[in-house]
Amino acid sequence: MTMIDDFKYLKKHGFELLPYALAKNEKEAVEAAKKIGYPLVLKVVSPEITHKTDIGGVIVGIKNKKALVAAYNEIVSNARGKRVDGILVQKKARKGIELIIGGKKDVQFGYVVVLGLGGIYVEVFRDISARICPITEEDIAEMVMELKSHPILLGMRGKKAIHMVSLEKLLLNACRFMQKEDIAEIDLNPVIFNERGYDIVDVRFKRAKS
Amino acid sequence: MREQVKNLKYIFRPKSIAIIGASGTPTKVGAVVLKNLMEGMFGGKIYPINPKHKKLAGLRCYPSVLDVKGKIDCAIIAIPAKFVPEVLEQCGKKRIKGVVVLSGGFAEVGNVELENQLKKIADKNDAAVIGPNCLGILNPYKRVDSIFLPMYKLKRPRPGGISFVTQSGATGTCIVDLAAQFGVGVSKFISYGNGTVIDESDLLEYLESDKKTEEILLYIEGTKNGKRLLETMKRVNRKKPIVVLKAGRGKKAAEAAYSHTGNLAGNYLAYDAAFRQAKVVVADSLDELFEFVKIFNQALPKGNRIGVVTNGGGLGVLTTDVIEEKNLELAEFSPETIRKLKRIIPAYANAMNPLDVIADADSGVYKNALDVIKEAREVDIVVVIVLFQAPAVDERILNILVNISDEKKKPVVVIAVGGEYTEGHRKILESYGVPTYSSPSDAIKAVKKLVDYAKWTGQKR
Repeated sequence: MTMIDDFKYLKKHGFELLPYALAKNEKEAVEAAKKIGYPLVLKVVSPEITHKTDIGGVIVGIKNKKALVAAYNEIVSNARGKRVDGILVQKKARKGIELIIGGKKDVQFGYVVVLGLGGIYVEVFRDISARICPITEEDIAEMVMELKSHPILLGMRGKKAIHMVSLEKLLLNACRFMQKEDIAEIDLNPVIFNERGYDIVDVRFKRAKS
Repeated sequence: MREQVKNLKYIFRPKSIAIIGASGTPTKVGAVVLKNLMEGMFGGKIYPINPKHKKLAGLRCYPSVLDVKGKIDCAIIAIPAKFVPEVLEQCGKKRIKGVVVLSGGFAEVGNVELENQLKKIADKNDAAVIGPNCLGILNPYKRVDSIFLPMYKLKRPRPGGISFVTQSGATGTCIVDLAAQFGVGVSKFISYGNGTVIDESDLLEYLESDKKTEEILLYIEGTKNGKRLLETMKRVNRKKPIVVLKAGRGKKAAEAAYSHTGNLAGNYLAYDAAFRQAKVVVADSLDELFEFVKIFNQALPKGNRIGVVTNGGGLGVLTTDVIEEKNLELAEFSPETIRKLKRIIPAYANAMNPLDVIADADSGVYKNALDVIKEAREVDIVVVIVLFQAPAVDERILNILVNISDEKKKPVVVIAVGGEYTEGHRKILESYGVPTYSSPSDAIKAVKKLVDYAKWTGQKR
């Protein structure tokens, strides 16, 4: 499955994704940008490239048409020699706190859902909490409080709390999705949360039987 | 409860026991079990089974269980693995509903087929089978003892309210020995080994309705059915607190792997999640297992406010540190409490929490102070620090502590830091069921577990 197929599949299962389009050429990219609106992010779509950033396959913060065209051509040239299915034109995520929402099918306990702090310090803080699916609203409240970084999520130093109802919905949906589609592993990483809601920036998942 | 689980009663409360593989050679398992049952004063009938002997330890010995005329409730099997299925069939014919298979040599060494065979026979006969590859069980109330370790090497605990469920025999050995050492009272001890027929969830379910069991201590390395374990723990823990120690956790490794690759690695995360969901009390070491379990014989506190009485100021401060660190509260004494305290403590002592009754306080001062503090409305938990080293403290303090602990109105916890002399006193208190700790941090950590558990059960009911 390509990234676009994954996106469609997730959308069908209730995940709210940032507006996106697949552009096969410069003109399509410009058209997509008109519909989606700036600022934008461009990402190379290729089955042969796993670490997109490493080869210069991702350009963020594109604010206008001129920058868009330049970015488009830069990615194409960076990906030269690889099979490229197109360039993903995606709305840039809003600012906020980076969280990880993940899950895994455990041999003994079934589906496990995980909430964690994301961002560049994730390896230092190792701040995660987990529950066995299905989960309740009470479980979610506890998961949040178990994070060492929960004061950040609840709002501090003049910053507002993240939109808890959306977090709840997203975690519940992740559980539902794993159970319904028999997902071996899923990672929404990062998901950027602020007081209005969230934006899922990147997604990876694997079905148990494919 | 399925019939097989109900039949565990034949293992825990048998009127007659057959020892298959009973032996006259003192170092053999079958000999030790026979000796232990006899010396342990088991009140029921004992049938040694071994075709090579006519008599063992003064008892008539039978070639097989089928040669025994009377009814047999429980069979303890201690013969090489390959002969177990045949003997189990005989037990079925004899309608023996409780079987303990001590023998090893099954799935744990790759003999999966042999173990499947064992399960098939047990299921067919509706027999409750503990093991194989286990230490078996202990019921101090009925003096049932299948543990094949000599009594002079491994002490047996007194009857009490704690039931131990352990997968590992070696850990089980330590638990039994330590329980006896600490004077911890035991209801049932079960080492379930491979858990082929009866697993940890079955045992939890049985203990849930066992009248003598008040708390459950669970040591597991792995489970074959996590979903069921979670559901069972959730239900049982509501009625009887479960303290759990999971070995083979690699939690740090799992977390590190998760944050490194973005993928969940290692399944302690799943166990940890399940424990949190079931709200069981998680211990991180064998020490904690005991430290935590012993506090649960106390009344559940209504809140988290602690009243501290001490005859050593420094220990009071150290205890306060841990109370703060664990997000518990140091109770603020009411004017009424302060007025009452002022009447009984030395003029040069302060009527504040922690209440320092000063190093020259004798047992009488302790009693008076405790009488006020245990009744104070603003105190949910009473922590008593006793410096047994102080000259004025005498043996009477033990009685005082046991008595207020026995009231079971508010949890009472004792901290006694010190060497040999103090340890002797700690042991006496323990044997009377007073949770006694050798450091402020051990004590307050346990208090925290009790407070959390009480808060949860309080919310739900």
